This record gives sequence, C-alpha cells and structure tokens, in this order.
Amino acid sequence: MMMAKNTSDCGCAQPPSLSRRGVLGRALAVGAGGALASLSGEGLATRLAFAATPYAGDTLVVLSLRGGFDGLSAVVPAGDPDYYRARPTIGVPKERLIAGDSMFGLHPALAPLRELWQAGNLAAIHAVGQPNPSRSHFQAMEELERAAPGTSLRTGWLDRTLGLLGATGSFSGVSVGRPLPSRALSGPAPDLSLNSIDAFKLSGDSPDTRMAAALRDLYTNAPAMMAAPARAVSDAVTTTTALSATGYVPANGAVYPETALGKAMRDVARLTKGDVGLMAAYVDFGDWDMHQGLGTAVAGQRMYDHLADLAAALSAFATDLGQTGMSNVTVLTMSEFGRRVHENGSMGADHGNGNAMLLLGGAVRGNKVYGDWPGLAANRLVAGDLAATTDYRAVIGEILQRRCGVTDLAGVFPGVKASAFGLVDARPQIATPAAVKKKPTATGSR
Amino acid sequence: MPFDSARSGPDRRRLLKGGAAGTVMGAVGIAAGVALPATTASAATADVAAFTSTDPLRHLLRRATYGATPQSEAELRGLGAVAWLDRQLQPATIDDAVCDSFLTRFPLLNLDIAGVRAEVTAGRLPVGAFGVMQDLARAAVARATWSNRQLLEVMVDFWSNHLNVTTPSSDVWDNRHTYDRMIRASALGRFVDLLKGSAFSPAMLSYLDNRSSTKANPNENYGRELLELHTVGMVYTEADVAQAARLLTGMTVDRKTGQYRYDANQHAVGPVTVLGFSHPNATAAGGEAAVSALLDYLAMHPATAARIARKLCVRFVSDDPPAALISRLAQVYLTAGSAVAPVLRALFTSPEFAASIGAKVRTPMEDLVATLRVLGITPEPIDAAGGNPAGTEAIRALEWTLQSAGHAPMRWGTPDGYPDVAALWASTTGYLVRWNAHLNIAANWYPKQLGRPESMVRYLLPTLPTTYGGLVDAVALQLVGMRLRPEHTAALLSFLGKAATTALKPTDNALNGKFGYLVALVLDSPYFSVR
Repeated sequence: MMMAKNTSDCGCAQPPSLSRRGVLGRALAVGAGGALASLSGEGLATRLAFAATPYAGDTLVVLSLRGGFDGLSAVVPAGDPDYYRARPTIGVPKERLIAGDSMFGLHPALAPLRELWQAGNLAAIHAVGQPNPSRSHFQAMEELERAAPGTSLRTGWLDRTLGLLGATGSFSGVSVGRPLPSRALSGPAPDLSLNSIDAFKLSGDSPDTRMAAALRDLYTNAPAMMAAPARAVSDAVTTTTALSATGYVPANGAVYPETALGKAMRDVARLTKGDVGLMAAYVDFGDWDMHQGLGTAVAGQRMYDHLADLAAALSAFATDLGQTGMSNVTVLTMSEFGRRVHENGSMGADHGNGNAMLLLGGAVRGNKVYGDWPGLAANRLVAGDLAATTDYRAVIGEILQRRCGVTDLAGVFPGVKASAFGLVDARPQIATPAAVKKKPTATGSR
Repeated sequence: MPFDSARSGPDRRRLLKGGAAGTVMGAVGIAAGVALPATTASAATADVAAFTSTDPLRHLLRRATYGATPQSEAELRGLGAVAWLDRQLQPATIDDAVCDSFLTRFPLLNLDIAGVRAEVTAGRLPVGAFGVMQDLARAAVARATWSNRQLLEVMVDFWSNHLNVTTPSSDVWDNRHTYDRMIRASALGRFVDLLKGSAFSPAMLSYLDNRSSTKANPNENYGRELLELHTVGMVYTEADVAQAARLLTGMTVDRKTGQYRYDANQHAVGPVTVLGFSHPNATAAGGEAAVSALLDYLAMHPATAARIARKLCVRFVSDDPPAALISRLAQVYLTAGSAVAPVLRALFTSPEFAASIGAKVRTPMEDLVATLRVLGITPEPIDAAGGNPAGTEAIRALEWTLQSAGHAPMRWGTPDGYPDVAALWASTTGYLVRWNAHLNIAANWYPKQLGRPESMVRYLLPTLPTTYGGLVDAVALQLVGMRLRPEHTAALLSFLGKAATTALKPTDNALNGKFGYLVALVLDSPYFSVR
C-alpha cells in the first residue's frame, strides 16, 4: 500500500504532499501566533481567542474502538434468528436488550446512553465496513485511518478534512489521552497529542530562565520532522498551562468515570468549551480484541465492562456539554473491523468484517439503527463475516458535509459518495470557514 | 495507532512530513563523499549533516548502544570497531558488576513461575501480583542504563518488541519475567530458538489466547500473528491462518501450575498446509512435534529472513533502509541458520551503515537512557533513613517518565511492538516529556535519589572555559560531540544573557544555578535527538 508520492490523485484544497519548506512555513506561521500571544501579556481569554480558528462547523470527536469492536454484541440483531445460532454462548439474550427496534437492540451495558438514544441524540449504523477488508489489525487500522485505498495518498483522513477546512491553529486536531498522535491526523494540518491538559506543561520556564523561547530558537533550521512537533509544543503549552490553572468542573453535574476514557472525554469537553479552536478530537479507546472471554452480557465480563465504560464516558460528556454544547458536536465511533459471526471456543470471536458505528450529537437523528442489513444466514455471510453493505467513509462523509462544511468530499475520501441516510440535521450556517464565525445554535437535542 | 514499518514499508507520515530520513541519507552521503542517490531537494541536505557528529566511532556508539559514556567511548577507541563489536557479541565475557549488583534489588525477578505463585500462597504477594512485571520494566531501564553489555540490551529490546507480550497485563502476571529470561538467553543467538521459546511459553500462549483454543473451534489470534508479525509478514492467506491455528491447538497453559502444557485431547489432527509447509499431523500425541517442524520452516522462510533483516536495518541503519543491504543480510541470516550475530556483524561493518550517520532519531527510551549515561548518572544509593530502603525509588520514577512519553519497556499495547521509525515518535507529548526529563535530571530536581557526579560542572567540564562562547562550545562538545551551529550557539548565549566573548568566572550563575538549564537545553536540541 505504500506507493510513490503522487499528489495528482487528491483534489484537496491543500495538497496532501508537503515539502519540508511547507511544514516549516506552517509551523513558523503558527509559531509566530504563539509568540505574539505570549508577548501580549494579556489574560487567558485573549490568548485563547487569538488561538481560535474561525471555523463554522461541528467539533468532530472520533472515538477509535481499536482492536476490533464487536458491533454484533453492541447493537444486537436480535431479530435475525441466525444470530443466536451462531452465538449460543455469547449471544446477548433478547430480554436483556435495551432500546432499539424489532430487529435490533442495544447491549444492556449501554444503559447510561438509553436516554440519549430515546431523546434522538444517539444513533447506530450497522453492517458498516471497509471497501477492502483485512483481518490483520495492523493493515486494517492503517487503511482505516488513511481511508483512501487504491490511491497514493499518504495522509490521514482527519488531516485531509482539517486541510480542506482551512485549519491553522495548534489545537485544530488533537489526539487526547495518549502520547502518540493518531495516524488519522498524519499530514500537513497542525495537530497535537496530549496525555492530558494538566500534564502538558513545560518545566523551568520563568522570566529568568526563558526555556520556551530558547527551545524555539534551538529548532530554527532543524529538520522538519523534529521542528514541527517541537514548535507545536512551544505554541500549545501556553494555552494548556492557562487552561490547567483555571481548573475544571464539569457542568450539569456530569460525572466522568475514573477511567482513561473518562479522563480523555473530560479533556475533550474542556478543550471544546475552552474555545481553543478545536475542530477535531481523536480519542483512542482500545482493548476490544476479544478473542477470549468476550463473555456473556453481565458485569465482570469483558464486553460488558468495556461497553459500560464507553457508555458512562459518552453520557457524562453529553451531560457536561449540555444541549447547546452538543448542538455543535458530533461524536462518532469507528473500529478497524468487526468480529466473526460465529463464536470461537474461548467465549470470544475472532477477527471479522461488518460492524456497527455509533453516532452521538445534538443534530443526530437518533433513536434509530441505520443501514442495509444483509442478514446472518450462511449464504449471506462473507467468509464467515457479516457483509459490509455501507462504506464507513460514506457515513463519515455525510457528517462532514452536513455538519462540518466539507463541500469537496473527494478531497477527504476519493471516489466516495456520502451516504443519504439522513443521519443528521444539516447545519444551517455552514459556509466557508473564513466567512462565518462559530456561534452556538439555539437548536438543542430534540 | 502506529505500525511497525519493518512490516509495512516506508511510513507515510515520514514521507509526508518531508522525508527527513531520506534527507539525512542524502546529506550524509554527500558529506562523507559516498555516492548515494539524492532523495530530496538539495536545500534540505545541509540541515542534518550540520546536526550530527560525523565521527564513525561515535556513530557506532549511538547506534549499537543506548548512548555514549566517557568510558564506553574510551573502550571503543582503544579496541577499534571490529574488536569492540566482537566483545559486545560475547556479553558473558564483559564484566557487569555494577548492573548485576543493582538488579539484586529486584529479587522477585529471580523466581520461576512456581516461585511467584508460592509467594502469593505465602501471602507475601497480592493475588495477580503486578509487582513482578513492574519490577521487570524497571530492571529493563536499569539494564539499558548501566549494563556494559550494551548491544545485548539493545537486542533484548529489539526481540521483546518483535515477539511482544504487553507488560503489565493480568494474563502474564506470573510468567512475563521468565519470558524475558528466554529472550535474554537467545537475543544474540538464533531466531529459531526465540521463535520456539515464545511458542512454547505460557506468556505468548496466554497473551494471544492460544491457551483457550479448542480443536472444535480454533482460536486464530496466535496463528495469525505468528505468521504476520513473528515470521513471514503479510504474505499469508486466511487459509494459512486457519491451518496454523488448527495445528496450534492443544498448546496451552496449565491452570494449576501456570506452566506450558500440551493437551493432546484438544489437538486437531489431520494434514496441515501452511505457506508451502505440509505435515500429516496424524496423531494427537505428535502435535507438538508438528508445531516444532512448522516453526523450523517459518524461521528459515526467505520472507522471514527478509523481514528480520529489514527490521534490524530499521533499528540500526535508517527508517527506510537500502534494499541491497536488506537482501545481503537476509542471505547471511539464512546461511547462518537464523543466527543473529553474523547478521549484526555484517550490518555494522557495511558501507550502508557507515553512510547512515544521522539517519535515525532517538526514541523516548533511547533519549532518556542516553541522557542518564552522558551525565554520568549512577544507581541510587539505598537510603533507609531517606525513605528509600529498597533503593528503587529513582528507577521507578524513570520508568514512570517513560510511561508518560508512551515508551516504557514492554508496555506497547498491541502484539506488533513499539514502532521504530522517527515519524511515529514525532509527538508533541514525546517532546515535552523529554524536555522536562532533561531539566529534571540535569538540575537534580527529579528523581532526586539518583547517584550523580559530585559536581556536574567538573564532570562535564574538566577544564573550565574562560568565556561564555567557550562554555557553550564545551558543553555541546561533551554532550553531542560537536559545536552547535552559530544560530543555536547564539540562542544559548541569549538564554544566558551574555556575549560569546564575555569572560566566564567560576562563581557565575551559568556555572551554578543555571548550569542545569544549559545542559538541559543542549539535550533538548535536535543535535542530541539524532541517534
């Protein structure tokens, strides 16, 4: 999949290929902003306002359920008789399901999301997958995040999205909760990786020991691969230090779980509300590779506990942002592949294909499972897997067009047409980023 | 999620972000007078040559060890590269008293599986005891820093990633350190022994779920990664995975003892074909022997040879290593029956290695350990009165620092092991953690318990420079082996608030309160990041 660099395949507003000069130029431009902000000596609001990008769309929160999320356990096709035949042990009993419809029901561990589902803020799309499925985690993850099979594009899809939307601020795309950045953000658009806001501080910087300034100077003329992250640190650290000093109390009594995911989602909420110019956040929530002990639908079993964590964190996030906040946010989940329809001998399931995505947001037309269900009958399976009838990129494409202001979807996903499920209300004031200031809309969740 | 470039070829982030590694090769080729294909625009080529000392012995130390110390440099200069390499390839001949003595502070690591379980039974360890695994990770930081068997330590890390079993994780609580022992024993030996050692280990069989596989419903997890990650790479078919998984059934872990056990009752018999390997697999009793034959076949498969050769080149030569070198090393590997030492000897004496100065960037672990080594940091003293009775407080803190950089030993969360290319470590958090660690250590803020030279100034500057310009030059020469470019020297002078020609007095702040900052900034600079 690694081919020679060739920019002609991409219709991006910003070329996906980037010269060293380009990286440096961008980093320097951002750097100059940071320097000015820190020289201004003004308060947090000024600095944050300076950093903010005039972006008119939703903040997109991507939750990567790395390891192979079992969509068949999360959004259970209880109305498909072959489901229980394939999963005599780990199948989720129909009477335990919550919400859903005559065909599908949600796993009981998702109970914290029931209200959001019923209020129409949460939806699922089933039988989603990649156009060229692989059962290799590593190949499937790479393609999932590059999201341009059959092209020579090297960038991640989220990077291309940010490029099209004109992202320039250091906080445009942030990987939250782990030290390494997501590959979906690989490419020329600026991005950060944060363990946490509170931990993102530079030691020793004081009026007598101007470490930040010296570090900036030390990376002058440095190779781009080193200079870009070094400068991004220098640019972002003032803002994170200020945010950290301000402290944070979640709104509306929201209580995040004390888990890595809970902490990451809390920081995403903080960045969103802090108006730092966050356009896309990427949160990695792994450990779904349940070959063994996926288990039955009771607390203490792997799938149950992991879904419970997911539900608690998403529920707290929605509560914290409130209706107004959520009207400017869309959260989506994705995973490199689903799991095999038939369970294995270890109370688990091996790597598969078709999967479910979850969609949460004020504009989501929820309380519904979308998709073209292919069925689980033996003659409907593909090599033992749920067939993928919807390209996951088409789903994201619909969000990008209707909520984020992406008009040239080919620049993100070459050759992909957005789905027409009507997953979300179109954002009324979508226009070119420069022309429209972001302001909260009055329409909350229904 | 990062990926192992040895598996998937040139990394796209690297290509995208400007092809810096390729740039490095081009630059070095020109600087060293070696004809290498120009891979990038000439405007970029001045950069990296100007960031790296071109001394070939320093180059070897940067690559084959966790970083230079004055002692290691003197030894290498005394022996010459070939004799030094021979010595490193026979680690048992190298005295390692300091490191061995420090490791006695982790007595749990000497236990076998039964011994660990006995500690739990006796109530001296909690059930599930993560402590053994935590000690293992801390010991790995100590070994990397203080062992004189540096190439062994580098190769233990290499194989620990190649045959990754994530640590800590609850399913390997009692055996992960014995798995490490297996890797250490063969890290400079034959790959086929490592492969079999892992296949018959309770750690790998637990980590990749083979222990619960059944003949009726084989679990494919280990079978797939055995092919994709451990041996041939992405040349397998789904049928190969299914066949391998079927053959591996019966290889399990005894629930009572935690030891490897072969359960013939769960072995699926019948002919097996995997990537041109075939075996009648006729009896349940013969299942283990059939697996062993498959492992022999896979270890000597040309695709395995090429993958391991490439991965070694990515580790030691460049992020996008020359195909000709990979091909030569793969042949050495096959000729040597998967022995690693001949491959390493060929690699380190190759013209491609010589021409690769500046083509690698330090990972967070390499950076932290190199910092400790270049600053003459020694093991923490045992200090019962000072709240450090076990003498492990500092090493715990260092391992924790690596966790926050995303690079604590053996901690990578997926079976592919840590990435080994610069692009995937080009992370803002990684830079921030490194920078903070440099200052914390140089200024003796954290961890405070570490042993250190009586005077860091005298350790790094045996002769005191007489001017500020001389000070910046001397610190740079000591830490990165070269003077900095004028703009960077100027940056440090500006930090100190002095002109190059200003006279330097021993009582000046720059040699007292600010000295740690100056040291840290040189370690923070791109020069120190180059491996």
